[in-house]
Amino acid sequence: MDLAIKDISRHVGKFIATILGVGLLLTIVFIMNGIYRGIIADGIWLIENTDTDLWVVERGRGGPFNEQSRVRMDMYKSVQATPGVMQAGPFIVYAVQREIAGRSQQFSIVGYDIAIGLGKPGRIIEGRQITAFHYEMVADKKLGLQLGDTVRLGVHDYRVVGITKGAVDSGGNPLIYLALPDAQEVLYQMDNQAIYASRAASLQRLLNAGLSQADAERMLPLVSAPVDTISAVLVRLRPGEDAQLVKDHIAKWLYLSVFSSDDEKNLMLEGRVKRISIVLGTFRVLLLVVSIVIVALIVYVLTIEKIKSIATLKLIGASNWVIVRLILEQTLMLTISSFLFGYTMAALLKASERFPRTLYFLTFDTITIFLIMLVGGILASGLAVWHALKAPPALALGG
Amino acid sequence: MPILQVEGLRKVFGEGALAVTALEAIDFTVKKGELMALLGPSGSGKSTLLLCLSLILEPTAGRIIINNKEIYNNGWTNVDARRFRRENIGFIFQGHNLIPFLTTLDNVALVMTLNGVREGDARKKGMEILEYLEIAHRADFYPSFLSGGEQQRVAIARAIANEPALIFADEPTASLDTERGFKVMGLLKRIAKEKGSGVITVTHDHRMIDGFDTVYELMDGRFVK
Repeated sequence: MDLAIKDISRHVGKFIATILGVGLLLTIVFIMNGIYRGIIADGIWLIENTDTDLWVVERGRGGPFNEQSRVRMDMYKSVQATPGVMQAGPFIVYAVQREIAGRSQQFSIVGYDIAIGLGKPGRIIEGRQITAFHYEMVADKKLGLQLGDTVRLGVHDYRVVGITKGAVDSGGNPLIYLALPDAQEVLYQMDNQAIYASRAASLQRLLNAGLSQADAERMLPLVSAPVDTISAVLVRLRPGEDAQLVKDHIAKWLYLSVFSSDDEKNLMLEGRVKRISIVLGTFRVLLLVVSIVIVALIVYVLTIEKIKSIATLKLIGASNWVIVRLILEQTLMLTISSFLFGYTMAALLKASERFPRTLYFLTFDTITIFLIMLVGGILASGLAVWHALKAPPALALGG
Repeated sequence: MPILQVEGLRKVFGEGALAVTALEAIDFTVKKGELMALLGPSGSGKSTLLLCLSLILEPTAGRIIINNKEIYNNGWTNVDARRFRRENIGFIFQGHNLIPFLTTLDNVALVMTLNGVREGDARKKGMEILEYLEIAHRADFYPSFLSGGEQQRVAIARAIANEPALIFADEPTASLDTERGFKVMGLLKRIAKEKGSGVITVTHDHRMIDGFDTVYELMDGRFVK
């Protein structure tokens, strides 16, 4: 006769309430874990999904993702001329917030040279790559755009020719791919007021330097802000080339910093992701401990409520195992049911795609959380087992 | 042939100047089918005697023999003691002590399953016992839905389920009115005669004395009658 199941079926409301409570705590643990893994996955997605061997960025900067990097547009031609380089292409990436598909959305624009192809979008699930030099875009599904939609960015309309899935920047925001000139135009496009203000300031600086009005106006285009910078130069090496030699050469002769894709990933993980992982890790541990403590408390209270029944069981000859089994089974049922409920809730939330961050569940993490809950629950129920085994059978004889 | 023999039983709590003698020179026997009453005021040693007889409290001196087995000084472990208890002794408690999360039938079947009887067989026999005690119509009820008298009948059913040689009843009528008290006493008498168990009943209840085969009264740890 399974006493644990009999007890649970008699107090089913109490058990369900406990399972809901602990399960929801575990849902938060799973979600925090999913966010943490999602941050890592998002952080390195663009690095992993950009077909390049090296990232050439502004000297002394950890760009283009962790830090802003500005490289002169024509530098990609110098990089192309470096021994060992098979192909080099300009690349630009920046975050924007605009009205898209009827709502204000944050996303990143990636610009690349469509003739060279380095930096082009991967994972296109509908449509095609950009083939025209202007006014075409590939957008991620998360933005809510359809093939053929047009999107106003700056002063031009861009037509969606391809849709990607899961293409995100390091902050988890969806990506829009544009041809490089378009991306530069969207980035540097100023409204008329800003242009007037900028020109007036530049003109004043020239007049202050002693130029006449006519000379100052003639010189004005030369001192305007540059609009042809890029974030990085992407490099494909010739087969068999030593990447370190190429990196050293570029750094020495072109006065730029060079990172491999692994270097970029490390920069991302050590920089942006590390602190948030510590925060999320701390919360995960705290919530797991709280969940285990709640299971322990519930099992302990359930045992204390039954202490006279346990004494009676002992008096009528039940073995210790019958009593230990009663407590352990209830602990296991609570723990496993709470885990399943928590996991199901988290999985449903992920499947609904309504959560604003990328959730990424790893089997290893799920198994680890399960084992921690299981072992923690069993250890925590030890107090209840100890109390039950200590209860004297004579307790049953009291009135 | 007695089912229970108690010889020169003595129980002392504490040592030296703090020693308290709870039982002294207790001798008696209980035969098959005998209904024995154990009377005495609070603190007279009734519970101590019951604990000693139940293999829970080891006496300081003396012998207790149940079903031809001396139950102390025999090298038994706790496990052996519990096995002996569930095979040879049935308990009826003042507060009934039914397991609250088990139905009437489950409470009766439980003691049989603890003795290794298959659950199906235990439930079948449990029903027969409930019918014997005229409480079968409450088989699927939880204890909290039974009256005090019904609970006591279920407790009796549980006590006799393993057909024990001895039944210890601790104040079985204390929480019942006179009519129900007499009914329970009548049941115990019937069980003693029909099942052949020796029944030792600890009681304060002088209304029930006439129904017993033998009556012992304890006073300050000694039999006075």
